[in-house]
Amino acid sequence: MKKSLMRPTLTIVILIATSLIFGCVFAKPEMYSSFPVTEKSYSGSKKDSTSYTGQMARHVLHNSLKKLAGKGNGKPNSALKAKMLSYYSGKDAGREIIDPTSKGDFKIKQTMVDQISKGKNLKGKTYKGIINGFPGQMTGPEVFEFMIDKASSAKKGFDPLTGYNYPQLISKFMMGAVFYSQAVDNYLDEKLAVDNKPNNKPYKKGKHYTGKEHVWDEAFGYFGAPAHAMALSAKQAYGIAKKKDMKVADANGDGAVDLYTEMTFAHAYYAADSDKTGTKYMHTIVGAFIKGRQLITDANGAALTDQQRAKLMGYAKTIKTNWAKVIAEAAFKYAGSCYKDLEKLRTIVESNGDASKAFAAYGKHWGELKGFLMALETSGRDLGEAGVRMNRLVGFGPVLLGGGQVTGIDSNGNLQTGGNRSMGEYQVHMIKLQKLLGDTFDLKARKNDVTSNMAGLLETLGSSLAAEND
Amino acid sequence: MQLWIGEWLPAFFNPQKRIFWGYLLSSLVIALLWLRLVDKTTIFSSAKRIFDRQVWISRSAMADYKVMLINTMLMLLVSPKILAKATVAYLVFDSMHMLFDGRPYISSILPQWFIAFSFTLFLFLLDDFARYWLHRWLHKVPILWSFHKVHHSATVLNPFTVFRTHPVEAILFSIRSALVQGITAAVFFFFFGDQVTLMMVLGASIFTFAFNLLGSNLRHSPVSVRYWKTLELILMSPAQHHIHHSTAKEHIDKNFGVALSVWDWMFGSLSLSKNEDQLRFGLSGEQSFDYHSLKGLYLVPFQQAAGLFLRLFSRIPLSIYQKHSA
Repeated sequence: MKKSLMRPTLTIVILIATSLIFGCVFAKPEMYSSFPVTEKSYSGSKKDSTSYTGQMARHVLHNSLKKLAGKGNGKPNSALKAKMLSYYSGKDAGREIIDPTSKGDFKIKQTMVDQISKGKNLKGKTYKGIINGFPGQMTGPEVFEFMIDKASSAKKGFDPLTGYNYPQLISKFMMGAVFYSQAVDNYLDEKLAVDNKPNNKPYKKGKHYTGKEHVWDEAFGYFGAPAHAMALSAKQAYGIAKKKDMKVADANGDGAVDLYTEMTFAHAYYAADSDKTGTKYMHTIVGAFIKGRQLITDANGAALTDQQRAKLMGYAKTIKTNWAKVIAEAAFKYAGSCYKDLEKLRTIVESNGDASKAFAAYGKHWGELKGFLMALETSGRDLGEAGVRMNRLVGFGPVLLGGGQVTGIDSNGNLQTGGNRSMGEYQVHMIKLQKLLGDTFDLKARKNDVTSNMAGLLETLGSSLAAEND
Repeated sequence: MQLWIGEWLPAFFNPQKRIFWGYLLSSLVIALLWLRLVDKTTIFSSAKRIFDRQVWISRSAMADYKVMLINTMLMLLVSPKILAKATVAYLVFDSMHMLFDGRPYISSILPQWFIAFSFTLFLFLLDDFARYWLHRWLHKVPILWSFHKVHHSATVLNPFTVFRTHPVEAILFSIRSALVQGITAAVFFFFFGDQVTLMMVLGASIFTFAFNLLGSNLRHSPVSVRYWKTLELILMSPAQHHIHHSTAKEHIDKNFGVALSVWDWMFGSLSLSKNEDQLRFGLSGEQSFDYHSLKGLYLVPFQQAAGLFLRLFSRIPLSIYQKHSA
């Protein structure tokens, strides 16, 4: 190289290297916040178009409803039922946040639902289709109203006659029938159509955000991740939901956790739970949300071109696929828990011990399993044969110690049990369910995998293919 | 071509395979020691016998190599269709739950090493037992013999003769392995859970390792290593396997075992080795086909099996007719 060329080349190399080093060290992690106002018709003073308060209010309503569902004393309780309904279907002002609330050093900013968003409920956003996985051929809202009624009269939300744990059933199904369903079957589906909530018009007259901006924000809100999720490890995001890590939760350092932007809720929590074992669901989903929102912002208030919309649909697909995996991973994990619970129950029963505690744990895990499976039914995507098999393997209730299982609902609205299925057979169902979920959703975390070590053992034996003679 | 080489070449470096370089080397050392110390031959004539052109580049040997390469390709194509050990294991594991109505753990009673040893030993015994019986049927059932003949058509034996196998046999061997591995893994995992492990040396079961290290490749070789009589009742010596390949009338259908000869002893097919002249290998009285050609190796067995099948089929209506007319 000529001497005259060496100096400028060296300078360029040093400049590039320096900027790369600084870029890596000081790069601000991406956040789902502070997207500028691009809506042309807006003339107000707001600078940030990001808005998903309604979704976060619903997360708080859901958390609170779950807490209430475990407050029953075993007798019909109309006051409790009315309170639960006010969180599910009411829109009344003055509803306090029952969960999450401050715990020790973990200070939470809001104490009332209205401080996040006013006049919100869960029923209006519940999936309206028939839920095949639950007895009675009821629609989504009917299932919740039925479960709320039963929960209000069950002791701590648990019915030992059916094995139903209502706080778990309500919570896990609600995450699907409201949050997941709204996001993947509404906002990331029909509302991404060209003429539906276009980007060159405000979402509603006078609003400071465009149609597509708000549609995307609402979907993000339902996922339940904190705005700074990309800067968090799976363990940290998980710890926030458990109210364990004030320092990482309080992103703006104001001394309180803002439930609107700093809390981990619902499926974001389960994504983080899976990610602790090495998957990347939370960052994949939140990353796609941020990229999608940036794409919409970059359109600068103009209608999206076909190319932009196609790219946005690509991000939506990433979100939908991985979100479904998060739910399926959770169902997989609890199928494994139920399998283990059945093993424990068998040991206790054989030694004539007190099985009540182990049975309650089994009911809890089954409620989570069932809730997550019912959630998978609400995506608007028919799971076909896999869906039918999942429902048949799990049935309408956990197999009880006497071999019975919930079979349906009678004309008085009471759950009926019957049949005589062995616990060993039900364990086989749990194994088959894990295999089905693993294959259908291509799962990777596979927590509580009953047969993983058997598969590992088979691996050590080498290939069974043999073209070698004796 | 790359895929092809990529499939069989790793066998030389895989201690789970008989032609792993370490086992070939140990067999060579044993052969040299045997020829020097027992047969009292010179080093030169020992080497001449082991590396004889006939053994390595005869038509029979070349046919072995051809079959090895072609079968690798065929197995790649058919392997997704063959019963998988995981399928067997899942089925057995599920069935055990039904049989015992749940899963009775007995793991806490026994120490880990004992469970691992029991598993490794059981797998070895069941595998060897299954090999004995399948091998026996391959000889005794005429249709199966049509295919197993390919292996016995080798007129000289070298370690690669182990691959001289008709694809139909390869499928049967794979099913056998899937059943043995799937059943053993599932049953042990059912009772002992995560405590079950395979005792291994260099990634191979300790028994497979020992069998191969102690000269398994000499089973197909020009060197007839014999054991003393009592040991030959339990372990199959290379010389006993040479008897299995011999064309002599008294050697027909003897020594079906692989690592253990105890099965032959138990089921009346054992023949102990003798210090006798070099045996003749191959098929006796079946010289009408060229078994070293591709046609002989791959197509003739199908023709013969089809002929036997048709003959069997034509007998059925005949017997029905006879019954009716009686």
